Amino acid sequence: MHVRPRILSVGTANPPERYTQQEVLDRYRAENPAVRAIFSASHIKTRHLYLPPPGEDGVPRETQTELLRRHRKGAMDMGSRAIAAALEPLGLTTADVDYLCCISSTGFMLPGLSAMFIKHFGFRVNCSRMDIVGMGCNAGLNGLNPASAWAFANPGKTALMVCCEVNTAMYIYEDTVATGVVNSLFGDGCAAVVLRSSPSDENTFAPTILGFQSHIIPDTWAAMHYEWREDKGAYSFILERDVPYVLGTHAETPVAALLARYGLKRRNIAHWLVHSGGKKVIDAIKYTVGITEHDVRHTVGILRDYGNLGSGSFLFSFQRLMQEGKVRRGDYGIMMTMGPGSTIETALLRW
Amino acid sequence: MGPFTTLTFREDGDVATVVLSRPRTNMRMVRELTAVCDNLDDVSPCSAVVFRGDNGVFSEGMDFQEFRPDQPVDIHGFNKWEKLCVRIERLPKLTIAAIEGAAIGAGLQLALVCDLRLATPESVLQLDEVRKGFLPGMATFRLAKSIGLGRAKRMMLTGAPLSAAEAVDIGILDEVCPSLDERVRALVQDLQPINTVAVQLARRLLNESYSTSFEDGIGNFLAAQHRACTQSAFIRTLEKAHDKPNDGN
Repeated sequence: MHVRPRILSVGTANPPERYTQQEVLDRYRAENPAVRAIFSASHIKTRHLYLPPPGEDGVPRETQTELLRRHRKGAMDMGSRAIAAALEPLGLTTADVDYLCCISSTGFMLPGLSAMFIKHFGFRVNCSRMDIVGMGCNAGLNGLNPASAWAFANPGKTALMVCCEVNTAMYIYEDTVATGVVNSLFGDGCAAVVLRSSPSDENTFAPTILGFQSHIIPDTWAAMHYEWREDKGAYSFILERDVPYVLGTHAETPVAALLARYGLKRRNIAHWLVHSGGKKVIDAIKYTVGITEHDVRHTVGILRDYGNLGSGSFLFSFQRLMQEGKVRRGDYGIMMTMGPGSTIETALLRW
Repeated sequence: MGPFTTLTFREDGDVATVVLSRPRTNMRMVRELTAVCDNLDDVSPCSAVVFRGDNGVFSEGMDFQEFRPDQPVDIHGFNKWEKLCVRIERLPKLTIAAIEGAAIGAGLQLALVCDLRLATPESVLQLDEVRKGFLPGMATFRLAKSIGLGRAKRMMLTGAPLSAAEAVDIGILDEVCPSLDERVRALVQDLQPINTVAVQLARRLLNESYSTSFEDGIGNFLAAQHRACTQSAFIRTLEKAHDKPNDGN
């Protein structure tokens, strides 16, 4: 019997060091009141970060080489822990993985993360691979789509998707609002999920992935982008001010299409796993998709405790939902990620 | 949809009317009202819904015939009622309770989740549950917000009936009108076109205002305002303003 792929487990990891917003400001002696105000907004309390030491004037100075090294080191540290956390509950090791999909947008590598993970973590050399780079915060669902398609096409085989973002490797340190917005928002984190299509998992309490729906807003192509800063010799992430509301306005479209395809209504969706992009975009999605504060409780909670973790954020929410123990067999859920493009990705799950 | 035995549902132009055709609510009525909500959410082109009673009674409350003293409490049944109330509270239409006669217990609870409440002068509003030994649903959550804690306590704990005139005084009723049907028709007519998206957004922000901090509230407002301003109703307003640049509208 050919069954749809399921998300059998999730594992997450973060840097060991945790900082309050105030601690980050103090560490780098940020004085601009506008920057301090951005950090003191209440929707983020703590973040786990790989922070560089402050320079003599408080401001750290890192070359692009050092930033890339930090991405790699952080990805190895978090990747090994998140992967183990996802595999262990199923009694699996990296040697059991048949397909490895790695996602990262915070440090360009060639060969990609998947090759490095295979070299160091004991995956088999004949493991199939895919690396998704540069797709930003939405990329977790851009990866889940082909990874689950692979699992569906290879029944009984084990696929592993790893979303690994060292967002601190994208920080530019200067006392301006533009960099303050980015540096106050993004945190470091890695989430791994195991996917499999197997009738033997029928009795496992794990959601089946039913389908995906994408949406891109080409008019806002540059609303979120990387920009090379000649003066800093590094990439800087640019986030336009109004993009959260634009994403919100369009979020209805893929959700409606996804629901219509499966003959469902919004009221049939018991669980929403929305990317913890930031307060404004979560607010916008609440009021356009018509979901409640309760529906986004994990999205808001992950933002508060970790900041925006990029591509793996929604999987941190998924983990909290599963730990909460309120999901019932037969429940439907929607995963939604938003990011550059501007992009909205959605997936429909059923437990 | 249907056939229904506890209510009738009809659509006439912009207005849908739900007539509660039995004086007391039972589980069947909850199911049928839920089906009506599905229709109003999914397909109905109406922009307003009027809930009303029949034979001079809006609703006298819960039907105790479905409960037996020797059976365990059906707390899930109460939860179904509350889920229905939330569905009515969030309908994508302007909702109006047209009260003629008694609106007691569950009947008043239903009226309280509507956007507007109009009644005939002879109507009586009452929450008699506490006097009967149980609780008036989530009116325990909603009522104090609309009339204040003191009045809500008096009404709920004493179970004293309110005349329509008293109910207008304390703000439970919006209007008393001798010719109820005529007045409801005229009101809906006056409000056309009803911008249902803006109604839903404003209603949600108001309902949330008691349990949200100002900081969260303004974030919610900006998100809702952005949504409202991208809707055709506001765009038409702007187009009209630009067609007639000198009349100040």
